[in-house]
Amino acid sequence: MSLFGSLDISGSGIDASQAWLNTTAGNIANMNDVTSTDKSAYGVQTPVFTPIGVAGQVGAGVTVSGIQEGDTTGIVQFDPSSPVADAQGNVRVPDVQLGAQMVEMIQAQTDYQANTASFADAKTAYQSALTIGT
Amino acid sequence: MDGIVNVLQYAVDGVAQQQQATANNLANVDTPGYTAQAVDFETSLQQALSSPSGGTASVAVTADPTARASDGNNVDTGTQLVDAQKETLQYQTMVDMLNAQFRLISGATGGSFS
Repeated sequence: MSLFGSLDISGSGIDASQAWLNTTAGNIANMNDVTSTDKSAYGVQTPVFTPIGVAGQVGAGVTVSGIQEGDTTGIVQFDPSSPVADAQGNVRVPDVQLGAQMVEMIQAQTDYQANTASFADAKTAYQSALTIGT
Repeated sequence: MDGIVNVLQYAVDGVAQQQQATANNLANVDTPGYTAQAVDFETSLQQALSSPSGGTASVAVTADPTARASDGNNVDTGTQLVDAQKETLQYQTMVDMLNAQFRLISGATGGSFS
């Protein structure tokens, strides 16, 4: 662990929360995508968080080990006015739940804030350590 | 005098590790299946100090027994944020005490007490 370990750990948490904010933003931005029924729909993206560290020791933070893509089957809707509609007048739209995405966004935001709070606490402690002997 | 400085130094390191564990728990607040960590140095330090023959203090990393949520994660954000504040104040207090000890040494050796 480096000299100012807590700061690195909180930084990794901030990065992970940011990645989560990005995926929710991407999911909401794509919720009105329309594709033809012979193509797959936009799959909801979710970051995969993995703890860093060795068992039996204080962990070293978190990392985003990948982005999981959800079901690309989507929902088939009847929309004959769409330019990509098939012969039956159907199109494929992604199965993005706006409510769930908004909840995830707030969660990611809260995580971000918690990590910045712990960053600030660690900074205060390290600053006081620098006064030793002065 | 030397003993107090050593004990304080050990305690400062211990609290720094507790702070790292808290930071790590908060970083993993939404990692599925993550078990919160706790660091205990106080128990063994107290034992070492109260034992007449002395002893060696050690730092133990333990799993937090808090109940798990549906995703298998047991980090309680509120508790961890309170811990982070508490550890920062403890850290500052012990640094102040270390500085007080050094001022005493400085004064006793002909320097300034302030």
